[in-house]
Amino acid sequence: MTSSGLAPEGVPQPQPQPQPLREALAGVRDMLPLAFAVATYGAAFGVLAAQGGMSLLQSGVFSTLVFAGSAQMIALERLGAEAGALAAVMAGAALNLRMLLTTASLRDALDGQAAWKIALGAHLTTDASAALLQTSRAKGEQASYWYLTGGALLLYVTWIAVTVAGHGMSALIASPERLAVDFALAAGFVAMLPGLWRGARDLKPWAGAAVTVSVLMLFTPLAASWALILGALAGAVIAGVQGDV
Amino acid sequence: MSEQDGVIWLTIFGLAAASFAIRLSGFLLAQRLPRTGPWARGLEALPGCLIISLVALLMVQGGPVEWAGGAVALGVAFAFRSVPLSMIAGMAAVAILRALG
Repeated sequence: MTSSGLAPEGVPQPQPQPQPLREALAGVRDMLPLAFAVATYGAAFGVLAAQGGMSLLQSGVFSTLVFAGSAQMIALERLGAEAGALAAVMAGAALNLRMLLTTASLRDALDGQAAWKIALGAHLTTDASAALLQTSRAKGEQASYWYLTGGALLLYVTWIAVTVAGHGMSALIASPERLAVDFALAAGFVAMLPGLWRGARDLKPWAGAAVTVSVLMLFTPLAASWALILGALAGAVIAGVQGDV
Repeated sequence: MSEQDGVIWLTIFGLAAASFAIRLSGFLLAQRLPRTGPWARGLEALPGCLIISLVALLMVQGGPVEWAGGAVALGVAFAFRSVPLSMIAGMAAVAILRALG
């Protein structure tokens, strides 16, 4: 799951009569290609969770309650580094802060719904929800609550199922050190970079983040988890103050 | 329950609570949260900055074998835009270099 930018607000459309099931199925249909991408990523996460010492139950509960791939990955990496629960939660939560903007962008679909529907819609929100919102806007339609929730539910069920399946598969992998499984998470994060790169405006924030982390690690006794968070914050501050590039 | 088991459960429930709070807050603050300007730019840049920070951290902690593995994973990611495929390529590079070394 990569992050997507936010589009300007679409022109409000007249609200048609809601048809929950039909809208949900349309959401499922439009989400299918993304579900395939999420399935491979989730299976990889399941394997890594098993290698990282999580039980089948723990990885299943993790994916059910958190439902955020990259945040789960980074928390797993911090646990593997024995950084402790607080550092793992901080790193994962920092990665999820962008969701403030994603659920904010779903405001029109969530507004005026019952409390349980708002809670469900919020929990099921991922970067893919923003992508689905863009898909329907591109077609000139306003994404309805059930359209977004239907698509999100497909992703949710897929994510949990492949996490558990991946965890099961990991038992088949013998001698993890020889297969460089300890390098899998590092390779996974490197692999995310091209998808996260948004062009020239990311140059200074990324350079600032990388330099901050490297300097803190090489020249101060600061623990790695805090160097990580300070580096990310330095990058975000640079992005905030540099103006529109 | 082992100590590590307890740390894992604490992480799971802690991150679950934090994630739900963030998701719900985004909707609740939607009226007030600026959609443009410095705060929005900073928040949007945060995921990329966090991942590049982690990669920088892992590279500082690693050696030539990890740097080579990272370069291979990055190259494959640029060429094919597939996270699993890039992971396998990077791991294969590291496994081969370790077997040779």
